[in-house]
Amino acid sequence: MAAIEQKGMYKVFPRSGKNVSFTHYCPGCGHGIINKLIAEACAELGLQDRTIFVDPVGCGVFTYYYWDAAHISAAHGRASAAATGACRARPDAVTIAYQGDGDLGAIGFNNAFQAASRGEKFGCIFVNNSLYGMTGGQMAPTTLDGETTTTTPFGRDPALTGHPLHVCEVFAQLKAPVYIARVSVADTRRIMQAKQAIRKVFEIQRDGKGYAMLEILAPCPTNFKMNAQDAAAFCMNEMEKEFPLGVFRDETGREALSVRPIPQVASCSELFAEKDAVPAAETDASFAERRFKFAGYGGQGILSLGLTVAEAARLERRHTLWFPSYGPEQRGGSANCSVVVSGTPIGSPTVEHPDVLVCMNQPAYERFVGDVKSGGTVIVDETVPVKVQPPEGVRLIVWPAIKMAEEFGVPKAANTMMLAALKKFKCTGLSDESLERALVASFKKKPALGEKNRELLRLAESRDSKA
Amino acid sequence: MVVVDKENCKGCGRCVAACPKKCLALGDELNAMGIKSVKYKGEGCISCGICFYNCPEPYALRIEK
Repeated sequence: MAAIEQKGMYKVFPRSGKNVSFTHYCPGCGHGIINKLIAEACAELGLQDRTIFVDPVGCGVFTYYYWDAAHISAAHGRASAAATGACRARPDAVTIAYQGDGDLGAIGFNNAFQAASRGEKFGCIFVNNSLYGMTGGQMAPTTLDGETTTTTPFGRDPALTGHPLHVCEVFAQLKAPVYIARVSVADTRRIMQAKQAIRKVFEIQRDGKGYAMLEILAPCPTNFKMNAQDAAAFCMNEMEKEFPLGVFRDETGREALSVRPIPQVASCSELFAEKDAVPAAETDASFAERRFKFAGYGGQGILSLGLTVAEAARLERRHTLWFPSYGPEQRGGSANCSVVVSGTPIGSPTVEHPDVLVCMNQPAYERFVGDVKSGGTVIVDETVPVKVQPPEGVRLIVWPAIKMAEEFGVPKAANTMMLAALKKFKCTGLSDESLERALVASFKKKPALGEKNRELLRLAESRDSKA
Repeated sequence: MVVVDKENCKGCGRCVAACPKKCLALGDELNAMGIKSVKYKGEGCISCGICFYNCPEPYALRIEK
């Protein structure tokens, strides 16, 4: 009977069409030792049926042949991203990402770092051998200053390629991780420390405590171009100078955060706090389609004005679409929106030739006035110099929206003043009641403002235009 | 006592260096892969398991009672 033997691994590895019981690792490889410790910890803690390993691209790629548990093979550098998905989809699982220093430190750094920052509930076992192993020993972010690799044949020159990346130290800046440590498998004492640390990573996941990062310094005799003993000595004597072993954080006693429950809402109407849900649009072919364009600069309430007209249409169960267009600026850039109101389903939300154009500044007027359909209407604020005439057959209304809003002491209400013009001159094909209800509804978070705007709307309507 | 499965040994010698009793050695015989695998010298083993944990291979070494 065996007193000490491998646990947690398959007995036979069906690699390359052959059934063998040895790994693909080179003689003396650190991965092999680490693989054994991981399998052993998983088995000894009784977690094989709960564990999802996320395997990397790199020398560790074949771990799915070895560890007797569930596996996901991730794309290069993406093990932490795949592990994020796995641990979120299966919160009951023990999720372990296994990554190398090329995989995690270079192409996948952001994935790993952000996962750590979010405090994803998985353990990341990060094997650092200071170079890209599988591809033939190229420089990695972790390559030591002066270290010879196939891409740094004269030694890594910090002036050209910077200094080694200290993953644990960087991750230790983050708040969320509960455990961050660096160990080694260079000699017996270190292997035993690594064994304890690996076990701890599994325990943290078993207990759902949060993110754990365990970096393991591993010899790569092949690419160090050394025998196994010298490679292990290189790990201890050179790599540890750059990458000191130790525990950077151990907050395993800390209470895990629990996710705040999201309030359950019955419907979209409830979510958007609509008091009076309106049934879906009805088809009414007798209602002629109207296309609107509202334009000005962001902050004038252009988009809200279009939305109010669309909401009025919705209240009347018309088909309607509202389509905003604006620059990256939240305020002050050019903004416009298109609204289509129709008795039949609408194909395109874009409006090239509006029936009604509302302009609140000069660039908007000059850009769109030529597009208005014959028989259509242009309403322009009186502050805009009308240097360009609208096309034949288009009615031009010059309306003192901005001025009135200022007179009323509510300069922000210039868009409500424009709505007054749309209502007064019967531009929308929608009832006065719907327009007013839509206006009030647009202030649903500030009901007092809604009533105030309704009052201003009625006051403004009594004004004359300079048509 | 240590038991070697020479077909699973890659002859890296980590166990030889790690064994506190120096009771392992690289042998002269080739295994099927053509590797000179490790060999128990036949005496001195205290079943400490240090060779097992230093070995990168899961099934090259085991300790039997």
